[in-house]
Amino acid sequence: MAQPETAPPQTAPAPVPAPVTPAPGVRIDGLTVVYKTTAGELPAVRDVSLTLEPGTITGIVGESGSGKSTLALSLLNAVQPPGRIATGSVEIDGLGDVVGLAGERLRKARGAHIGYVFQAAQNSLNPLKTVGKQLLDLGRSHGVDDLRGLVREAKELLGRMGLDGARVLDSHQHELSGGMRQRVGIMLALVLNAHLVVLDEPTTALDMITQANILKIVREVHAERGLTTLVITHDIGVVAEVADRLAVMYGGRLVEQGPTREVLGAPRHPYTRGLIQAIPRLVGDIDEARALPGRPPTLATVPKQGCVFRERCALRMDICETDDPAALADGPRIVACHAVGVKERA
Amino acid sequence: MTVIARRLAGHLARGLVMILVVATISFFIVNNIPGDPMAARYEKLIEGGMSPEAAAQAVKVLYGFQPTGSLWQQYTDYMGGLLHLDLGVSVSRPGTPVLDVLGEAAKWTVLPVLVGTLLSFLVGVILGVFAAIRRTSKLGDALAISGSLLHGIPQYVLAMLLVVIFATLIPILPADGPVDILFEPGFNAGYIGSLAEHAVLPVVTYALSAYGGWVLAMKSSVVTVLGDDFILAAELRGMKRSIVFRYIARNAILPLFTILALSLGLLLGGAVFIEKIFNYPGLGLMLINGVNDRDYALMSGAFLLITGAVIVANIVADLFYSTIDPRVRSGEEAA
Repeated sequence: MAQPETAPPQTAPAPVPAPVTPAPGVRIDGLTVVYKTTAGELPAVRDVSLTLEPGTITGIVGESGSGKSTLALSLLNAVQPPGRIATGSVEIDGLGDVVGLAGERLRKARGAHIGYVFQAAQNSLNPLKTVGKQLLDLGRSHGVDDLRGLVREAKELLGRMGLDGARVLDSHQHELSGGMRQRVGIMLALVLNAHLVVLDEPTTALDMITQANILKIVREVHAERGLTTLVITHDIGVVAEVADRLAVMYGGRLVEQGPTREVLGAPRHPYTRGLIQAIPRLVGDIDEARALPGRPPTLATVPKQGCVFRERCALRMDICETDDPAALADGPRIVACHAVGVKERA
Repeated sequence: MTVIARRLAGHLARGLVMILVVATISFFIVNNIPGDPMAARYEKLIEGGMSPEAAAQAVKVLYGFQPTGSLWQQYTDYMGGLLHLDLGVSVSRPGTPVLDVLGEAAKWTVLPVLVGTLLSFLVGVILGVFAAIRRTSKLGDALAISGSLLHGIPQYVLAMLLVVIFATLIPILPADGPVDILFEPGFNAGYIGSLAEHAVLPVVTYALSAYGGWVLAMKSSVVTVLGDDFILAAELRGMKRSIVFRYIARNAILPLFTILALSLGLLLGGAVFIEKIFNYPGLGLMLINGVNDRDYALMSGAFLLITGAVIVANIVADLFYSTIDPRVRSGEEAA
């Protein structure tokens, strides 16, 4: 059943969602997502291409409003109105292009093939029902015949994450702490045996100890179950902790991507450099951290042509005003910047 | 279960105190209303051509049962009577206990108002969901406008409109009294049919005047829940539409149950104008007549009944809420 990694991208949607192969690969190509506003349709994600290799953890870092959550929702073809995917494709092994999925096929792909974990602070559970009853709703929605088996699997997963499964399933949302809710969210994303998992700000609003626990769980569960994982965060510490590969997002564009160690150790794009310089160190003077000048663009202020980052860029050149820099690959690293010749530092 | 029992006991104790307070206040207020029922009757008899002596005698015989003694004496007698559900004797219908008068009138109020309220709740809540889901379309606009419009028209204006339309312009429905006197009261088709026919306009009035509030309340409640994260979360987990719909409906309807319980509590006292317009012999009409006749005992009894209904409705609302909302339940346990 295992699909080779080199399987050619399927252009047409698969007829019926095939049984999930462990660790699907994902190829996002030329994805543009626009939101309808009074000023017309404005892009929140523009021409993004990103490949998630099977079995890897990819981190997407960006500030609020950089379009990272919109990108995450695109993986489930779940961009909420007034937004819509304008162009591009999201090919997932075993599913085909999810941009072309709709109706029941799309619904069944969500949950069964792609697990989505919400930010812990968000209330992702129905406040009136116990976790167990919502688990059964989930099972019935996906035509699971063996509901006892599903409950057993859920208890195992919760136990694996250090919780008392029986007690948690019998609890309402308000009886669980933030860290427990987050583990319940991870359980619900995995219990139907999805092998592609998207975590949107998995550690935001959790205390440091719980953050560390959740990240440990994400890493371990990822390895044990053979997942392809995408972590969306504004916290570079989180991606440094878990991600194999890192993509930096700014103003709806992916400005730099590459192996996490390389990108953090030798950032090339001026935005990535600025981000890393802005992190205060635990030891040393707080003044060593330098804030990026200016402020991030919003949907309305993001430049329509030229480089999205030029307003805040120290390396700005004339060409940045008019031409959007292309994302150029150099081995595993991809940078979109006129000023930084990727070859020059390689 | 013990939590519920403890809650109930607390409510009952508070309710009892409230009833005593209301009984006291209404007793003294009613006793201070200017006018004297015996003098009024006396004058009526004289106008009817009776000699002053005979009239005085008749009034004395008629109202011999009336409490005498100081106001304090009367108050303690009244409160003592309350303990045995003795609300005193009606003045305007000499010899009839107030409780019997209230019971006779209540049955003409409770059923039509109950049917009207439940009907409007059902229709209003269902249409409110559509008004919320289709809020950007013409259907949503139409539903919201219908809600605002009917919510804005006073109940008695609506009642008179219905009378004009369905009893005068197109006379297809009766608008006077509860039943045709032609029929033999009892369990026969003619009598029941006539009862139902006469109840249509009052019930429709209650339903239409309450409908707007339900539509608007449900619409805003559903819109709020639709924006909640757990609805998006359920969709992203691939939950069936029907299940997501149930999640929305159950969460959105919660606050409306409180309003429903409270409006059911007010149903005994809320029909005064409507019963007057349709000449329906319920509690409202009885209260109007009671005021006209300076029937102190009847007025006090009616106020007490309405108070009791509101208190009971509050208790029911609270207990009901704590069974359907787990957050309220555990809040009590934690306390």
